[in-house]
Amino acid sequence: MSRYPKRASVVVVGGGIQGLSCAFNLALRGVGGVVVLDAGYWQGGASGRNGTLIRGGFASPEWTRFFGHSNQCWMNLAKTLGHNPMFTRRGYAMIAETPKTAAMFEGALKVHAENGVTSRRLDDAGVRSVLPAIAAERVSAAIHFRDGGVAPHHAPMKAYLAACRARGVQVHYRSKVTGIETANGCVSAVMVGDHRIDADAVLIAAGAFSTEMAKLAGVSLAGYPMRIEAMALEPTRPMIGPALALIDRLAYMHQTGRGEVVGGIEVPERPRPSLKTDLPVMTGTAKVYFEMFPALAQVRIMRHWGGMLHISPDYGPLLGPHPALRDLWITAGWSYGYSGAPGAGDLMGKAIATGQIDDRMAPFAVDRFDRGKPVRELGIVLATD
Amino acid sequence: MQRLSHARPARVAFTWNGHAIEGREGDTVGAALHAASITTLGRSRKHHRPIGLSGSFVSGSLATVDTRPNVRLDREPLAAGLTVRMQNTWPSADLNLLSLARLLPARMTYAGFEHTNLMPSGTRRFEVWEKLLRFMAGVADAPSAPNERTAPKGARVAVDTVVVAGGPAGRIAASAAAQRGERVMLISRGSTPGESAARMVGSLPELDHRVETRGGLEAFGIYRDGAFVAAAPLDGRVGALVIAPKKIVLATGRRSCPPLMPGADLPGVMDAATALSLAVDCAVAPGMQVAVIGTGAEIEVARRLRDLGVHVVATAPTQSLRRITGHNAVTGIETDRLITCDALVHAGPWRPDPALAFMAGCDGLLQLRDAPHLSGVSLAGGAGDAAEPIILGPGPRDAAFVCPCMDVTVAEILHHVRRGETDVEVLKRLTACGMGPCQGVPCWDQLAALLAEEVGGAPADYGHPTYRGPRRGLTVAQAAGLDGLVEPDR
Repeated sequence: MSRYPKRASVVVVGGGIQGLSCAFNLALRGVGGVVVLDAGYWQGGASGRNGTLIRGGFASPEWTRFFGHSNQCWMNLAKTLGHNPMFTRRGYAMIAETPKTAAMFEGALKVHAENGVTSRRLDDAGVRSVLPAIAAERVSAAIHFRDGGVAPHHAPMKAYLAACRARGVQVHYRSKVTGIETANGCVSAVMVGDHRIDADAVLIAAGAFSTEMAKLAGVSLAGYPMRIEAMALEPTRPMIGPALALIDRLAYMHQTGRGEVVGGIEVPERPRPSLKTDLPVMTGTAKVYFEMFPALAQVRIMRHWGGMLHISPDYGPLLGPHPALRDLWITAGWSYGYSGAPGAGDLMGKAIATGQIDDRMAPFAVDRFDRGKPVRELGIVLATD
Repeated sequence: MQRLSHARPARVAFTWNGHAIEGREGDTVGAALHAASITTLGRSRKHHRPIGLSGSFVSGSLATVDTRPNVRLDREPLAAGLTVRMQNTWPSADLNLLSLARLLPARMTYAGFEHTNLMPSGTRRFEVWEKLLRFMAGVADAPSAPNERTAPKGARVAVDTVVVAGGPAGRIAASAAAQRGERVMLISRGSTPGESAARMVGSLPELDHRVETRGGLEAFGIYRDGAFVAAAPLDGRVGALVIAPKKIVLATGRRSCPPLMPGADLPGVMDAATALSLAVDCAVAPGMQVAVIGTGAEIEVARRLRDLGVHVVATAPTQSLRRITGHNAVTGIETDRLITCDALVHAGPWRPDPALAFMAGCDGLLQLRDAPHLSGVSLAGGAGDAAEPIILGPGPRDAAFVCPCMDVTVAEILHHVRRGETDVEVLKRLTACGMGPCQGVPCWDQLAALLAEEVGGAPADYGHPTYRGPRRGLTVAQAAGLDGLVEPDR
C-alpha cells in the first residue's frame, strides 16, 4: 500500500507556509481531496529559515494592498486556524539613513494612508522611545507599523499543518515530485517516483524549486533560485522591541521571543544553489549590528544558516494561473513569503476554488513580465538597483 | 572545595552576585567559584534547574562578567575586581523566584511555554504573556552600549597548512608539514599549544620551531569548501583571524560524553578535561570525594587526580553506572554498590566533535549532508577515530536530559516519537533540542542514541541536524572587525 492516494482534486507541490496556507484555504472553502507533497522535511525550506518579519506597508500600492491584507490575516490567524501561530503584534519599523530613502518614505506613507495600512512617521523622540538601543544619530527617517510584528517559524507551521490535517488535507514530507503530466493542454497528474496521483489541478508552491517544478510540467517561470543567509545571537533579555528593516543596509532583524537577535543582510553575489554559509554575510550583518545597536558588541553569534528562495525579475511574487498550461497554478517568486503567506493562501484558495482572481493579487500575475507590467517596489531589503 | 598543594599563594578578590569571593592567581573565574564551593553557576532555560561546570553543556558555565553577557567562566581568566553575576534569575540570584518554574510538570513546558492555545495570539492577553516569556527566555540581562565604538580589527593571513589544535597529533602533523618546507600555522585554544592534551598524557611530541603558533584562539568555522578557516580569541574584545590555507588539518581530538541517565546534568558531573583543568591548572579539586568513570581511561585519570592530592573514592566503568543521585548537585552514584561523592568525572565514551569537519564538506539544497570525503581537509589523531557509543543508563530514563540547557528530557523526545516523528531535524524544531549555545554537541549524539535504543536501528541511521557555525560564538564586535577581509563570491 502506497502512502499516497491515487487521485486528488488539487496537488500542492511544496509543504512550506505557502503550500500549507493555500491547502488550508482550499479545504476551508470545501475543496476535498487536497494533497500536499514536499521533497524536504517540515520547516526545512525557507519557511523555517527566514527572518519571520511581518508588515503590511511597502512603497508601492500593489505591495501595500497585498501585504496589508496578509497582515490582517496574521492578526486573525489564531482564530482562523484554531491553533496558536504566536503572531506577536509588537510593531515593525523601517529605518532610513540616507536622504534618498527618507524621500522614498514620504511617498510610502501616502501609499499606506491611501491603502488602509496604519503607519506613522517617527520623529527623533519617537525613534528613541520605540528603539532606545538604536544609534539614533544615524537614523534620518523612520516609519512605524503598529500592526506589524513577528511569529516564530515553528508556531504558524505547526498551526497550519494541524489545521490542514484536521480538515482532511493529506500532507507528505520527504516526498519528491518527479514528474507533472499533462493531457490535452491541461495538467493531469503528479508523479512521486513510480506513484501516480491523478489531479484536477496542481499548485506549485515550491519556493526556490518552483522553476524546476514548472519545468517538469514543460513550462517556464521567470526568475532564478537565490541563496540568502541569516544568523542568531545568544539570548539576552528584551532590548529591541519591533521588527526592523534597515533599508539602506539591505538588512532586517528582530529579537525573538527566546531573546536571540535574528537577522541578516543581502550581499550581492553570484547565484549559488546551496544551503552553505559564507563569511561576508556574517561579518556584514555583524557590522550593521555593531554600528546600529552598539550594545550588541559583546553579544556572541550563536548560529548562522543559509536558505534558498526564488527571485523574480521584479522581486514580487508570481501569483495565479500559469498562462501556458491550464489548471497549473503558481505561488512562487517570494522574498517576503512568510509575511505574505496567510494573505496569499486566502486569495489563492479563492482563485482556485471559484476561478475569481482578486484585485489584490492580480498585479502579481505570472505573465506580467511578458506583458511589460512589472511591479516596481523600493521599500524592500533586496538589491533592487 | 579543597585547594591543592600546588596552588599559587597570591589572592585575587572579585564578587559573585554581590558577595566577595577570593580566588587565586591563575584561576579561571569558574575554578575560583568551584574552590569556594559554588558549583551552581547557571540555571537551565525553562525549569531553572541548577547547572554548573560540566565540559559538556555550555550553558552551565555562562554568566555575566562586568557588563558582558554569556561569558564562559571555565575559560575566563580571573582578574581582581571582576563583577560576576548569575544569569536567568529574578529578582536576584539569592532570591530567585524564577526557580519556582522547577516545580512545573515537565509536560507543561514541552517546546517551551509556547504552543498553548490557552493564550491565542491576536489578543491583548497574548501580548502581555509573550512579553513575560521574552523576559524569562532572555537569560542574560541586555548589555549597555560600550564606550569603545571601533570594532577590534581582524586580520587575514595566507599559509600552506593550518593545523587546528596542538595535541600530539596536531604537533606531529604541523612539524611534518614544516619539515616539507611549508608555511604552517598551528592554532590552539590554550595559550600554549597542547595545554589540555598535556594534562591527560603528560609529555608531548616536539614541535618544529618553524611552525608558527597562535594560542588562545578557537577555530569557529571553515568556509567556502576549505578556502578559509576562521578563528577568534576567547576575549570578545580582541580581533579575530581569517586564515586562507591550502590544506587544513583538524586535530581537535575527542571529548568524553556523559551517560544519558537522570542526574547526568547535575552540578558536579564533569568530563575528564574539565576535572583535570581544575586540578592541574588552578589547583582546585573537582570535589571532596571524587568518583571517576570511563571506558578505560578512568584508571589513568584517577591516578593523575590522586597524584595532585585529589581524594578519589572510586573508579568504575561507565557501563556499570546504574544511577546518579542528587537534587541540586551530585551526591552519589550506584554501580554494583552505593558510593557517596560530590563530583563524578567521566573519562569516556570518547567522541570527536564533528562540527568543523561537517562545515568544511557539507552540501545540499534541501538539507546539508556530510560530504563523503573532504578535499584539502584531513583529520589527525583522535579527531579521525570512530566515536565510542553513547552509554544509556539501565534504569527508567524519562527524566534524563537529552539537552540540559534547553530542558529537553527523554520523555519529551519520546512524546513526539510515539506520534510517529523520528526525523531529527523535525525533533529539533519541535523541542529546541540542541538550539542552545552548545549548538547540538553532544545533545544530538544523545538524541540519535536514544532513537536507536527506543525505535531500533543504529544511531547513525538517524543522522544529526545540521551543525551550524560559528562553532563557539565569536562576538558581534569580532565578526564586525572581520568585515571586508573576505570578498563576496561574485
